[in-house]
Amino acid sequence: MSNPVSRGFFNESIALAGAVVRAMRITALNLFRKPVTVHYPEKPRAYPDRYRGLLALTYDPKTGEENCIGCRLCEFICPPAVIKVEMLKSKPRNFAKTFTLELYACEFCELCVQVCPTDAIIMMKSFDLATTDRREMLLDKDRLHAIGLQHKASWATGNLLRDMQEPPKPPAKPAAEGAKPAEAPTPAAIPNLSEKPVDAAKPAEDPGPADKPPEKAEATADPALERAAGTATEDPAEVPKPAETPSPADKPSGGEA
Amino acid sequence: MPEVRAIDYTGSERLTMNMGPQHPSAHGVFRAILTLEGEKIVAVDAVIGYLHRCHEKLAETLAYVQYPSIASKTDYVAAMSSELAYVMAAEQIAQFEVPRRAQYLRVMVNELQRIASHCLWLGTWCLDMGGALGGGTSIFLYCIRERELVLDLFESLVGARLLYGFHQVGGVRYDIPAGWTDQCRTTLNLIEQRLLEYEQMLHDNAFFEARTRNVGVISSALAQDVGVCGPLLRASGVDFDLRRDQPYSSYEDFQFKVPVATEGDCHARYRVRMVEFRESIKIVRQVLDSLPEGPIPSRPGVKSLGQVRVPKGEAYARVEGPRGEVGCYLVADGTNKPYRMKWRGASFSNLAVLPYILPGVTVADVVAIMGSVDPVFGEVDR
Amino acid sequence: MSELPPMVQSLIVGALVLGAVVGVVAYVTLLERKFAARMQSRVGPYRVGPHGLFQPIADGIKLLMKEDLIPAAADRTVFNLAPIVFLVPCLLIFASMPFAPGLGVADLNIGVLFFLAVSSMEIVGLFMAGWGSNNKYALISVMRAVNQIISYDLPLLFAALVPVMLAGSLKMSDIAAAQAGGYWFIFYPVIGQLGFLAFMIAGVAAENRTPFDILEAESELVAGFRVEYSGMKFGLIQLGEYAHVIGTSFLGALLFLGAWAGPGPAWLGPLWFFAKAMLMFLLFTWVRWSFLRIKVDQILAVSWKLLLPLTLALLLLTAVVIVMREGEQSVVKVSLHSTNAASRLDCVAGQARFAASSTSPALRASCARRLNIPDIEAPRRLASRAHRSSRCYGGPSPRAARV
Repeated sequence: MSNPVSRGFFNESIALAGAVVRAMRITALNLFRKPVTVHYPEKPRAYPDRYRGLLALTYDPKTGEENCIGCRLCEFICPPAVIKVEMLKSKPRNFAKTFTLELYACEFCELCVQVCPTDAIIMMKSFDLATTDRREMLLDKDRLHAIGLQHKASWATGNLLRDMQEPPKPPAKPAAEGAKPAEAPTPAAIPNLSEKPVDAAKPAEDPGPADKPPEKAEATADPALERAAGTATEDPAEVPKPAETPSPADKPSGGEA
Repeated sequence: MPEVRAIDYTGSERLTMNMGPQHPSAHGVFRAILTLEGEKIVAVDAVIGYLHRCHEKLAETLAYVQYPSIASKTDYVAAMSSELAYVMAAEQIAQFEVPRRAQYLRVMVNELQRIASHCLWLGTWCLDMGGALGGGTSIFLYCIRERELVLDLFESLVGARLLYGFHQVGGVRYDIPAGWTDQCRTTLNLIEQRLLEYEQMLHDNAFFEARTRNVGVISSALAQDVGVCGPLLRASGVDFDLRRDQPYSSYEDFQFKVPVATEGDCHARYRVRMVEFRESIKIVRQVLDSLPEGPIPSRPGVKSLGQVRVPKGEAYARVEGPRGEVGCYLVADGTNKPYRMKWRGASFSNLAVLPYILPGVTVADVVAIMGSVDPVFGEVDR
Repeated sequence: MSELPPMVQSLIVGALVLGAVVGVVAYVTLLERKFAARMQSRVGPYRVGPHGLFQPIADGIKLLMKEDLIPAAADRTVFNLAPIVFLVPCLLIFASMPFAPGLGVADLNIGVLFFLAVSSMEIVGLFMAGWGSNNKYALISVMRAVNQIISYDLPLLFAALVPVMLAGSLKMSDIAAAQAGGYWFIFYPVIGQLGFLAFMIAGVAAENRTPFDILEAESELVAGFRVEYSGMKFGLIQLGEYAHVIGTSFLGALLFLGAWAGPGPAWLGPLWFFAKAMLMFLLFTWVRWSFLRIKVDQILAVSWKLLLPLTLALLLLTAVVIVMREGEQSVVKVSLHSTNAASRLDCVAGQARFAASSTSPALRASCARRLNIPDIEAPRRLASRAHRSSRCYGGPSPRAARV
């Protein structure tokens, strides 16, 4: 064999024989290992807790009402722009008049879940997306609610995700300048190692930042609105459940030097 | 630039053969129009662009919050590196300080990604050389088996197996869940054992040596002229690794070796990558040992699109991905979207070396060389 | 059945063997797939029937129902004829194979030669397939194939000659009989193992299996010569390939593993033979799934520079060993220094055998005279002694029977 490292015929043969034996030993070794195949439909797949699967809308377990307030934050943040929401204005709170999600173009980035102020949109532990009809993947509000009841929910909700990305302790004055010294050991933001950060902690420390700009300011300030501008005649304002709109959000985004 | 080699034409009949875009060893959608004389290649015409998805233009329409999860799709085999390059460029312009824990987590996922990516490289390369109906498949499936374990890790960390969206400007989106560290250590130990098995099947194996030794030699000068990067560059005797030479994201805190080989052939690339496997495992272990407490992003949890704004400016961030230098050049205009974005794909510049090394080899060598270059066409065509 | 004319008998037996071969080949694909899957941490075919048992049937139905495409630019006659021309030699090799004493289509005197000659005929069909397809991949593939098969038929022949020399016959049933009682040729010191090794290597190459599967080489040539075939034509080519592999396995089991010899009653013989052949097949499979493919020039180098000289040397060694074991008793002195000892010995053994088997006393006598044997019955004894002494553990030396 044309091996540049010439070791003489005898040594070469020994080496070849050794290599053959070694390689065949490995395949024989694997012959007696347990196959890693999972017989999928019979044996359901074990999903990790944070699985990002099908999207769904939730109900409030206490009141039985839909959680979605039609604020359209998910619509604005969706990178492939597959979510379309129309708001239904109503007195105590707003609702989503329509909520459509084009699942066939969804990329499961979980950004919509992350921005949802009311934990209305969540992801499911399921990837059963296969269908013979593309239209079945155009999910409307009813179907999204149905999916929410059908499958097991993943861990993530908007508030949990934002808790996990807890900011460093907001400095006294808004950190406008770019080189924000990241005071690393923030006492407040301790380890999100546990899967269930306490929900109650959030509203408690949110009022910290003095001004609480209404949702309106945030949404309309978005230049990204221009993408949805055609339909964005409705003002997605003044909706939110007060406790659920922790908006130190926009504060440091003034970080334009 | 060196001349493209052309072999003197002496024979009487030439054959033009398409390798790709649909071909078992095309590694995606690469089309090489080979001119053959018998089995020998006398000229090669490489056609790319079948997977062009306007990533750079797309980035101009997406906010800094949105793009990282799309950046995954440039190099879908090593999604973490592309994401990291993008967010690092944005952070450079805005001068966001990334918390230490986030930096360490970034290092960790990138090294895990390198392990996963190299697993895929080894598997597909052996698949090219060994055939879908031969020993190559065995190695391929072994490698995929181990890669799945790493993807399981990512899945329990992020929730996705291939396209993560783990990074965001100012930090990372997910912290590690409970029990993840143990799972990670177990996986690493297992992969370290299995690496020995791969090497037993390949290392010093006459079949493997015959296919790789002195095949596709890239000289040091050629490598630097064409601009190949990553393991290819190091296999050609250039000692350059961004993680060590221009540390980012706290890479300076970790001990690792940068493997260098001088032969520049396929076998040298194999050896370099096998060492990188082990070094990555070492780095991940170091991260797990020394992971600091603290917040993961420097900014509050993303609530809306306009939240991350980057001031006017431009920056180039470079990351040592599994395939080499992944660069992202970003021009910001002060809004929440970049004004312009440019990818520097490692596979793209690595692939540029093919016309220099392919003429003169045989058809069988083409697949061996292609596999050792390890291109990912999502990144080449973007 | 014995009242039937011999031609009808042969036809019936032939049809039975053909059916059995096709059935076995179908299920051998399942065996290989299962075996390979387990080696690769998979489970293999699992869905059709319990543990995928009906998979070959499903595959067959699938192939039958697929559209039969003929490329517009193909040479239609050649293209259509090629699978048949390829398949026939691959099935024909079973004609000379006895599956038990007296059980077989035709136990030819030149059985081994017939087997090897016919099995190398497949190259014609293969070349027709590649040429008729009018496809570049197929063309390159058959260019490689012709090179490879010609190169590896010689080592395969030489490796197969080792047991032939030890048994002193080309007839397959004789070779099997010579190994009766557990004296399989693979246990013959040094020669047996080397011969088996050479047979394995050359066999893998002649069957075009990894690491020598350059003509299929799907990472380079997509599927090689069969890239344009679909439907049942593809199925016929597949069938032919597997039949060839199984035939080679049977040949290996017959030449080296004692054919139907094994414990238990005689009717277990065919089963033993089958089990041994399957063992050979699994060995081929194991090799196949363990190595990378090598390049065409390397494959040719392995054959001409390594395997061919080695098998030739092995033949010489075999001859020397046979002569050393038998030389002292042999009536005819064969010079150890003669380079063509092997052929001379073959000649003697053949003459003796011929003389012994002839029914005419006059012929026997003349042979005995020519061989310098006084006794008229001696050739018969000589032949049977050669038989016995060719075993590994020959028992008490047949020196007592010196003439």
